[in-house]
Amino acid sequence: MSDYAELATRSNFSFLEGASHPKHLVLSAILRGHTGMGLADRNTLAGVVRAWSALKTLREEGWSPPDRVRQGGSPGETVLVEDSFPVDIDPEEIKARAKTFKLILGARLRFNDGTPDILAYPEDRQGWGRLCRLLTLGNSRAKKGQCEIGLRDLLRAPEGLLLIVMPPRRLEGLEVLLRQVNDAAPGAVWLGAAMCRMGDDRRRLARLKTLSATTGAPLLAVNDVLYHDAEQRDLQDVVTCIREGVTLEGAGRRLDQNAERYLKPPAEMSRLFVDAPQAVAETQDVLARVAFDLGDLKYNYPEEPIPPGKTPQGWLEYLVERNLGQKYPDGATDHVRKTLATELTFIGERGLAPYFLTIHDIVRVAKDKGILCQGRGSAANSAVCYVLGITSVDPGKHDMLFERFLSTARDEPPDIDVDFEHARREEIIQDIYTRYGRDRAGLAATVIRYRPRSAIREVGKVMGLTDDVTARLAGSQWGSFGSDIPDRHLEQAGLDVDNPTVIRAVAMTRRLLEFPRHLSQHVGGFVLTRDRLDEIVPIGNAAMPDRTFIEWDKDDIDALGLMKVDVLALGMLTCIAKAFNLMRESGLDDLELDTVPDERPEVYQMLREGRSIGVFQVESRAQINMLPR
Amino acid sequence: MRREEGRSDASAEPATVLVEKVKGALRLTAANGQALALGLSPGMTLADARARAPDIRVVTHRPEADAALLKRVLLDFGRFTPMAATDGPDGLALDVTGCAHLFGGEAGMMEAVAARARGVGLAVRLALACTPEAARALARFGRGGLYEGEGQSQALRRLPVAALELSDKETQALSRAGLKTLAHLADRPTAPIAARFGAAAATRLNRVLGREDARIRPERPVSMIAVDRILVEPITETADVEAVISDLLAEAMDRLDLRSQGGRAFQASFFRLDGEVRHITVRTGRPSRDAVGVARLFRERLAALARPLDPGFGFDQVRLSVPVADRLASRQCGFDRTPPGAEDLGRLVDRLTARLGPEAVSRFEPVASHWPERAVHLTPAALAPGEDGEWLDPDPADPPLRPLQMFDPPQPVLATAEVPDHPPNRFIWRRVDHRLVRVEGPERIAPEWWRSLKRPLEPTRDYYRVEDLEGRRFWLFRSGFYGEEPAPRWFVHGVFA
Repeated sequence: MSDYAELATRSNFSFLEGASHPKHLVLSAILRGHTGMGLADRNTLAGVVRAWSALKTLREEGWSPPDRVRQGGSPGETVLVEDSFPVDIDPEEIKARAKTFKLILGARLRFNDGTPDILAYPEDRQGWGRLCRLLTLGNSRAKKGQCEIGLRDLLRAPEGLLLIVMPPRRLEGLEVLLRQVNDAAPGAVWLGAAMCRMGDDRRRLARLKTLSATTGAPLLAVNDVLYHDAEQRDLQDVVTCIREGVTLEGAGRRLDQNAERYLKPPAEMSRLFVDAPQAVAETQDVLARVAFDLGDLKYNYPEEPIPPGKTPQGWLEYLVERNLGQKYPDGATDHVRKTLATELTFIGERGLAPYFLTIHDIVRVAKDKGILCQGRGSAANSAVCYVLGITSVDPGKHDMLFERFLSTARDEPPDIDVDFEHARREEIIQDIYTRYGRDRAGLAATVIRYRPRSAIREVGKVMGLTDDVTARLAGSQWGSFGSDIPDRHLEQAGLDVDNPTVIRAVAMTRRLLEFPRHLSQHVGGFVLTRDRLDEIVPIGNAAMPDRTFIEWDKDDIDALGLMKVDVLALGMLTCIAKAFNLMRESGLDDLELDTVPDERPEVYQMLREGRSIGVFQVESRAQINMLPR
Repeated sequence: MRREEGRSDASAEPATVLVEKVKGALRLTAANGQALALGLSPGMTLADARARAPDIRVVTHRPEADAALLKRVLLDFGRFTPMAATDGPDGLALDVTGCAHLFGGEAGMMEAVAARARGVGLAVRLALACTPEAARALARFGRGGLYEGEGQSQALRRLPVAALELSDKETQALSRAGLKTLAHLADRPTAPIAARFGAAAATRLNRVLGREDARIRPERPVSMIAVDRILVEPITETADVEAVISDLLAEAMDRLDLRSQGGRAFQASFFRLDGEVRHITVRTGRPSRDAVGVARLFRERLAALARPLDPGFGFDQVRLSVPVADRLASRQCGFDRTPPGAEDLGRLVDRLTARLGPEAVSRFEPVASHWPERAVHLTPAALAPGEDGEWLDPDPADPPLRPLQMFDPPQPVLATAEVPDHPPNRFIWRRVDHRLVRVEGPERIAPEWWRSLKRPLEPTRDYYRVEDLEGRRFWLFRSGFYGEEPAPRWFVHGVFA
């Protein structure tokens, strides 16, 4: 029996094709004893960071208990949930296996010219860049969510990519294709072979062996995986029906005829490929050739905020020193100086100077334009931020909560959000694009997932429930709040909880919850990089014209350590700006955010009387009640 | 255009009345001409009638006999137009739009209808007008006759308000208000009438006055193409009937060709002199414009009729209609006049079906499903092929994926095979030991889990195509896996060739 790694897997980020989360695929492969795995979703790299993070977590912490607590049916309610993943191996063993497990990441290229799918795994940093640019090109030609690439786009620049050609059901024309691809990328092409139990496996394998011999592309054993376990096949059937817009009854042969597309144990794969054992061994060669890891993308910070010749930390300290005089014309107190020193040491140890510098840069631009802005978040509660002008809260006068920031154990990126006047936020965004270039600044994505309402509607339709039943299920209470479906809500909806069809539909819906549905543009999260952005991650079109966003969301960006800045809009700042303008025009005081006099007794008196309409953050009825006390 | 007839039970006999028990007393429901001349009228009690004319003949009114007669008359009068319906218990409404020319115009039509009615012994009042309600009003409350245009309006205006057939109270209210004829109503705005008597009354007024039109619902649905032949000399011989049908078919096919359609059902209606009507319908599986072929179908059907087509004194009208038609592109025949094979099959199916009946001739159709028992469906061959599924399409160089003959249910066999899923090397069926020299598989087919709610599901099957020493090829499967409970069983599901 030889070592095996499954190199043709699709997760549920191949929207409505795959039926497993990337992390479940990784865990399953480790549990089954694979030496590695390749994740290649259809024309996207949206799920790769999740798989990579899952492996990282398994290596560092071993098998952590599943999310036992999820949001319940009403706000604030939590519900104990069983994670459906059975694990019968010692957690320490898992950690050990994870350390030697190799995960390679790529994409399954689906072409628009009838060419069969080709898996592309970058073997080095340049290869990764090429793959991102290829997918970006495809995205740019199509509307949101689609990707149009042809074979010639791939063959134009295949260096650094390992290509696995996945043969279609009929093998006509495959030889020509293999020769074509092999000429363009010699030594980097494999022919994937899957034993799908369609009745002619050995005959087909023999044909593929001949093809491999004549064209020189080695045979590679795969199982073309769509789910981590055979139990998930019914869910895969359901998503296929959703994709094709049919019910299970009417789907016919669009569904797979068996449940073989799961991660099979190495022994089973060896047995299936007994006629071509070298195909199984070949998986290890492919794994070995990949030298690129997503962690290589870390610390790809833009250099704009830093003048040449200076280090980020050095520049930060210089700026702090320089601004100190402006902020404290009468001299800073010892307390302040001590706080600053502690913070700067912390920042230096963690290498976080670029974050502060980038934010400072953006804020400076805003202030030059006269746009009001205000920083917040745990890192914003710092003296450094005050001195740099990012926040307006003077550490000399208030106790700081920087301890929250200081106490972060891991090197998480600092949490700084900056609010801008909402009416003028677009100017800031355009300025960022101008300053960093559209090719090195991009908006982050959010992953829109199936929530109970949308999930039950789709699943119900597929399972043949009538519209009124699904509408009642969808309309019952848990729609917008929870991510689970407690039984009592079913009863409230007037449905018989014991009806087997309803039970089955609800059970299927529970499994579909949290599956990604599509990507959408994030509201204000920007990614800024030093290298070209489209050589780090594919960029796609948003629904708005002339808007693009990258395929990774905020969590992915944080996990990889890329620079992210949240440029948010706050209507109240516009209000304040208008108030200031009004004051200036009427000849009253000329104020800035940080020069507004505080500790005014009249204000406190007003609040104590409960007259807080129009006062931000304390406007609600509950607050009005609280204030007099 | 519409025409209506009123009818009373009449005969050339002495004064006769029909009586019926109404509210405990015997009252007259109808009186013939002589009885009317004696001063008797419907609604009078029998006692009063007897007082005036002691010698009247009294017959009990039988409404069901009236209805049956009316129905027969309706069928017979279907010869004038397919759009015919009853109008109350004693009348018929016929829509003769487009039919009048067959009988020599509208006047000729009225003549023909009156003649026929006389011929079957009915006294009728006819009226022909632009809308059904107008004709009805003119026949029942006016003097009958042919009306159109200005003449119609004048005649309608002269009608009493009773012609609206509102309730008695409403009619009384109208006359008390000084509105005695339709002319009075016609000149007024309809809104107050609607307000006082309801919207239905206003609509009725509009319809009677011919301002609004409503189609009658015919007794028999109207077919798209119908060709009639009115025979001057009635025919009785089968050969003549067939000849007429052939002629009519040729005409009908021409009309179908103009519409790029083919007929899938053809109906021949035979109208007898004495009023009986008989219909023969022939169906084809594919849309057809083949007059010769369909004529042959009719011949075969006529020959196979359980009750022979009895012409009585002869048929004087034959109609051929095409109730069901589908698209069929026009096509030119080749020069050598040999039709392609598919048409031959279609014709064969049609002939067999005509002779044996649709249930006796069936064919296999593919169904979109992986599960073999469900992937094939037996349907009557005469029905048009469905679009549900396609047959599996293997590589032409490969052996067939599915056997020609499948057993229902699969037959259990004993087989031995290497675990876990190697093909068997021999199997025993009906005590015959088959040693296998060529095997291929498995083809794994999992059950359609959504079809049944109970668990556990039927086991997954591994199918194998095998060939034994004598060269016979079988389709075997193993239901379930080795190592699972219950133990797997082997079956033969079919034979190739």
